[in-house]
Amino acid sequence: MNPVNALRYHWNVNVLGPAALRLQRWQAERRPARWDTRYLAPPLRIAPRTKELVARHWLAGRYANGYRKVAWVTSGAPVELLKALDFYVLYPENHAAICGTARLAVDIASEAESAGYSRDLCSYARTDIGAVLSGKTPVGRLPKPDLLFACTNICQTVLFWYRVLAEYFGAPLVLIDTPFVYTEEAAGHAVRYVRRQLEEAVPVLERIAGKRLDERKLQEVGLLSKRASELWLEILQRCRHRPAPISVFDQFIQMAPIVEMRGDAVTVDFYAALLKEVDERIAAGVGAVKNERKRVLWDNLPIWYRLRYLAEFLAQHGVAVVASTYTNAWGELAPLIDPDDLWESMARTYIYPILNRGTGHKLRTMRQMVEEYQLDGAILHSDRSCKPYSIGQMDQRDRLIRELGVPALLLEADHNDYRVFAEEQVATRLAAFVEMLG
Amino acid sequence: MESTPIIPSRTETIRAWREHGGGIAAVLPIHYPRALLRAFGLLPVEVWGPPQVDPAPGAAHLQPYVCSIVGNALSFLLKDGLAVADVIIVPHACDSLQGLGSLLLDFVRPRQPVFPLYLPRGRRESDRQFLADECRALYGKLAAVTGRAPSEEELMESIRREEEADGLLTELHRRRRALPLTDLAFYRLVRAREYLPAEEFSALARAALDAPPADPRAGIPILLSGILPEPMALLDAINEMGGTVVADDLACCGRRLYPPGTSNDPFRRMAERILNGPPDPTRGSPIAERFRHLVGMARETGARGVIFYDVKFCEPELFDLPLLRRGLQEAGLPSVHIEVDLNDPLSGQTLTRIEAFLEMVAGQTEEARR
Repeated sequence: MNPVNALRYHWNVNVLGPAALRLQRWQAERRPARWDTRYLAPPLRIAPRTKELVARHWLAGRYANGYRKVAWVTSGAPVELLKALDFYVLYPENHAAICGTARLAVDIASEAESAGYSRDLCSYARTDIGAVLSGKTPVGRLPKPDLLFACTNICQTVLFWYRVLAEYFGAPLVLIDTPFVYTEEAAGHAVRYVRRQLEEAVPVLERIAGKRLDERKLQEVGLLSKRASELWLEILQRCRHRPAPISVFDQFIQMAPIVEMRGDAVTVDFYAALLKEVDERIAAGVGAVKNERKRVLWDNLPIWYRLRYLAEFLAQHGVAVVASTYTNAWGELAPLIDPDDLWESMARTYIYPILNRGTGHKLRTMRQMVEEYQLDGAILHSDRSCKPYSIGQMDQRDRLIRELGVPALLLEADHNDYRVFAEEQVATRLAAFVEMLG
Repeated sequence: MESTPIIPSRTETIRAWREHGGGIAAVLPIHYPRALLRAFGLLPVEVWGPPQVDPAPGAAHLQPYVCSIVGNALSFLLKDGLAVADVIIVPHACDSLQGLGSLLLDFVRPRQPVFPLYLPRGRRESDRQFLADECRALYGKLAAVTGRAPSEEELMESIRREEEADGLLTELHRRRRALPLTDLAFYRLVRAREYLPAEEFSALARAALDAPPADPRAGIPILLSGILPEPMALLDAINEMGGTVVADDLACCGRRLYPPGTSNDPFRRMAERILNGPPDPTRGSPIAERFRHLVGMARETGARGVIFYDVKFCEPELFDLPLLRRGLQEAGLPSVHIEVDLNDPLSGQTLTRIEAFLEMVAGQTEEARR
């Protein structure tokens, strides 16, 4: 390791950066709420800390090259292996979501489109490829990957996307291929296949990391991963309370650490603190929506560039979006993680995300959520950029209406590309939906 | 000098097969073990769309941003187009085909059993082992619905029959320029592999290969990449505009020239044949490998340009295109990208773009000659 790089990393990531971020947090804690508090609860007290935590993660990435090995990974990848080998882990999907929230995604994606990447491709992929080609990013600088680590349990798109990244960076691509689970149970040979790939990946990861995998450390990381996922699930389940203490829009913002810092001790502390604050809200009778009349489900990815608009529009009508198949995905598998049988449980955990399961399974999950969270309706975001999540929604919507008598709306949009978001049309459809809710 | 082999139609083939007591397996794109189905007496009949169907029934289940191969397949099924099939096989090639398989199992529930087949995205030992296991699992499902249990020897015999047909298919591709066939006639012949029994296809292929060789077809030599050449009138149009297809990297054709296997275990052999096929993004082949394959084909056949002819919304194709096209350009191979919907007729715009492309390639060739 180059001592200059080490010094630069420590100075910026452990000394200067944290001080600047603490100051920003102090300022944020004193800033008035930006979302309309006539209809919505004041922002969570923890929100500035979330921002600080996430910013520190990206700050570490900015100075990682030359000091730590860097892996770019997909959001559903078995990151525990990388954490145990001390990789700095960067999630391009999260980066793209940050660009989306900051409404920079289209500008950055245009760089990829100019290079020939079609607008029919996933807008996360376009955003990140655009960032790679142009260097444009709201997080300062993206470190170059020493390793690309993709897992197909969220979509096949990541495979096509990471093959492109492999060409641009000349970095090795390690793939964990997770056969799609069409039925209730994954076939035995499919689980064995995933386990075998995890084991086969180790020597490659060790070679790049320049160190041996310590099984004890892996177990510790696994335990932290499990604990953070459990806390996250507990937080989500607190929304069964009436009024729901936080909304799905809060969840979308607070989910960043469970995605990109899973396996870190700081993530466990963070969610313990968030759970405490959520419980305080419940004790004080505070609801995310001030006049919670109706409770609905959100299906699919967020529309990052219109979170505030959607939250305010619905809250204005007393509609609280309290549960989501998407945020639930980072908690529901927590019981499967078994630090005492990590390899087998990792294989099972990573083959079973909702996105790697059939359309019928998703409907069952939605039904269960409608019952457990006492929901009055469902908004299914038909996300042009996410086919695996969106295919099946037309039947799922029809079944929710027909079999549960729950009004359900299919909302056409895209998670990052605001050019396909027709605001007037969305407003009309949402208004009609709210009317149906009664 | 040009001849057009008489190829039985799908309908005739299916009827004849049925009359002999055989069953039909409707198979979605792209890769699957033909030999396994045949060992159970099931004739694989592939469903690439089909083109030009009323898309409305499928549109009740699928969003408009799903490709027309998947949309049309569902519409076709809902209009009883697959009524003749005893089983439906849905290989996993992309998120859209994955979604279709799942929809069929969970919501549409056709009369026939639906069997998905997951294709691994690599060529590692673990991938070969998994695909062999996946074929073994499919064997179990087929045994349950057909009541048959082909022996290992029967499986190997079926594999050998398919290997022979694939060997002849490869030979047709290799000698295509000297065959007395127009592009349209050539593709009608090679695409008959999508539904003809292997032995019938082999007989046709042999007859075509045994025909007296013709002078190499004139025209601007081009390589056709993408998914499938539909509408097939495209091929005549290319010839009329002065082009000739000398090689292809089409998902329905050139990407399925499977080499013979080596294993004595039938399931492993089926797996290795599929995984050792030419590069394919849906099997996870690196873009660099695809690029080398395209350039290699162009060098071997003298192709001067590449037409990427894709079905709209095809992610596996769209992700690779910018790097492939840039690399090809640097290698002196210009390319054009055309996207179509399977329900569109061959449009004037498409023809104009191809014509302009061919003129450009001809101009470059002329300039290089000077």
